[in-house]
Amino acid sequence: MTNIDRRSFLKAVAGASAASVLTVPGARAAAAKARVVVIGGGFGGATAARYLRLLDPGIEVTLIERGTRYTSCPLSNEVLSGERDIATLQSGYGGLAKRGVKVVHDEVTQIDPVNKTVTTAEGGSFAYDSLVVSPGVDFDYSGVQGHSAELAETRIPHAWKAGPQTLLLKKQLEAMPDGGRFVIAVPKAPFRCPPGPYERAAQVAMYCKHHGKKKAKILILDSNDSFSKRPLFEEAWKALYGYGPNGMIEWVSGANGGQVERVDGTSLTCSTTFDDLKCDVLNVIPAHKAGKIARDAGLATLKGNWCEVKPENMESKAHKDVYVIGDACVGGELATGNGFPKSAHMANSQAKAVAAAVVAKVNGLPAPVPVYTNTCYSVVAHDWGFSVVHLFRVANNQWVYIKEGSGISPVTFGTKAAPKPVPRIYRKLEAEYADGWLRNLMADAFA
Amino acid sequence: MKKTLFALSLAGFAAGAAARGDIEPLARTCNNCHGVGGVSVGLSMPSIGGLPRDYLRNIMKQWKYDERSSITMGRIVKGFSDDEIDALAAYFAKQRWVPSPQAAAAPVIAKGKAAIAERCEDCHGLTGSDPDVDAPKINGQWAKYMELELAKYRSKEFKMPHRKMKKAAHEIKDAEVQPAARYYGAQSR
Repeated sequence: MTNIDRRSFLKAVAGASAASVLTVPGARAAAAKARVVVIGGGFGGATAARYLRLLDPGIEVTLIERGTRYTSCPLSNEVLSGERDIATLQSGYGGLAKRGVKVVHDEVTQIDPVNKTVTTAEGGSFAYDSLVVSPGVDFDYSGVQGHSAELAETRIPHAWKAGPQTLLLKKQLEAMPDGGRFVIAVPKAPFRCPPGPYERAAQVAMYCKHHGKKKAKILILDSNDSFSKRPLFEEAWKALYGYGPNGMIEWVSGANGGQVERVDGTSLTCSTTFDDLKCDVLNVIPAHKAGKIARDAGLATLKGNWCEVKPENMESKAHKDVYVIGDACVGGELATGNGFPKSAHMANSQAKAVAAAVVAKVNGLPAPVPVYTNTCYSVVAHDWGFSVVHLFRVANNQWVYIKEGSGISPVTFGTKAAPKPVPRIYRKLEAEYADGWLRNLMADAFA
Repeated sequence: MKKTLFALSLAGFAAGAAARGDIEPLARTCNNCHGVGGVSVGLSMPSIGGLPRDYLRNIMKQWKYDERSSITMGRIVKGFSDDEIDALAAYFAKQRWVPSPQAAAAPVIAKGKAAIAERCEDCHGLTGSDPDVDAPKINGQWAKYMELELAKYRSKEFKMPHRKMKKAAHEIKDAEVQPAARYYGAQSR
């Protein structure tokens, strides 16, 4: 970001804060009419806290989050290629504090849904009328023999929570010799950021292409048999970096033995059913499950891994007045394979639904009908991007996936019989929009 | 058959929402990219709060019915009913227009001002704050966004239905595009 950009950005944020938003009439800041505790200060939790205060300043909102600075996972693959400074993905919690959110940097150790209190590691106890749980995901290393949290921090980073591991992976990429092998191992779905591993492959390839590593091999070893935005990625990989056994990027599906079963941190080897592969960089993304606090509190009702919630307001199916949002929850039209993607924008959308529901409840207003949306951009070169959008509505207390308001960027123009390539300018514009999307998404959660 | 059912159900959703005048849950979903109250902080994304209702309604309906090329918005608005589009346009038109004036060098501003004179000025006004009823305000709109939008109007790959705007965009020379966008982006009022 240039200085002028930054100045304009800050000014605009200030402008946005001054802009009018609908608040509940007669809301008073003095005596809190309800206490809401939010656990987790990622996109979901931060948005929930912010919108609760925006919609009704009479509600006391306490946000409990371990970290003092958040790093966005969206677009963090651009840090690997050097296209983006990690600082542009970061935010503190000052914006929320200015909105009257009580920000507590601590770790929640216990939720008591009967007495409606949460307890923290430093001995804090917080009573709530409503609780928003947005803990994100924990990693499960047990699926890959030899892998561990310690290895992830030293030799085999996942970099699936943006931050120090993103920078470690970047360093490893920079140190990789030309002709080196960079392996990205993808766990079985569901995992956060469904297009993320494939965007990462492109960003790594872009770095190699422009930094004297044209003979590099980026191998995606996938536990799944297809992936998000696949035709768009394959088109871009092919055009930009070469794709397939002879290209810079190669993808191996689960059916073709792509699932990584074992790693060795010393020799940096990963093993599938068929092969032992010596790697120069080994990026194993472990399987996920809902964050520990949600599992400990009995909220992970789906196979003990994910939290089921009610479509109309994201309230937990396990506990009353407890709402679970973000990557830890499961929702959407699961029967047709159109579940909620685990994305920042989806978490942000769920957070707004919770905020509106809680505000209506506190004020004795009719429950609003939520709309859930997602927009997610992937950037595969500085001038090549694409996106997916999702729209879910709620009818008869069920999620309904709206196909007409969902879908990926066009793969071809023309007709099915006579397809034409999508003009390059469309991809270029989406790369530009990705940056605007991220800045607004950050502001919509943290400003 | 399935399509009819869908159309009915979509109309049902939207009628319910519109009847209660409850467009805000849907409007809030726009904030992710366009900011609270439609005030964007992303340089490539436009602010939309306080733009004329007719402009907002027309552009969304043109996207929905494929009368206008789009990158992302067309896919999004196809999930909205016409009533919802009307209500969204009315909602955002009621918000305050908050310019985000961006500094630019004096020679760039001068070049931009010359480029917009009698072209853009006619419909958007000299500073962009006094547009025709169906044209957007562009004073303090993000220059980056306007540059990209002009690229669309100047490209043969985009269907852009506004003939006058298309003509004006084609009259501008390549070297004038950025200054014109920066000129309007720099205006506070």
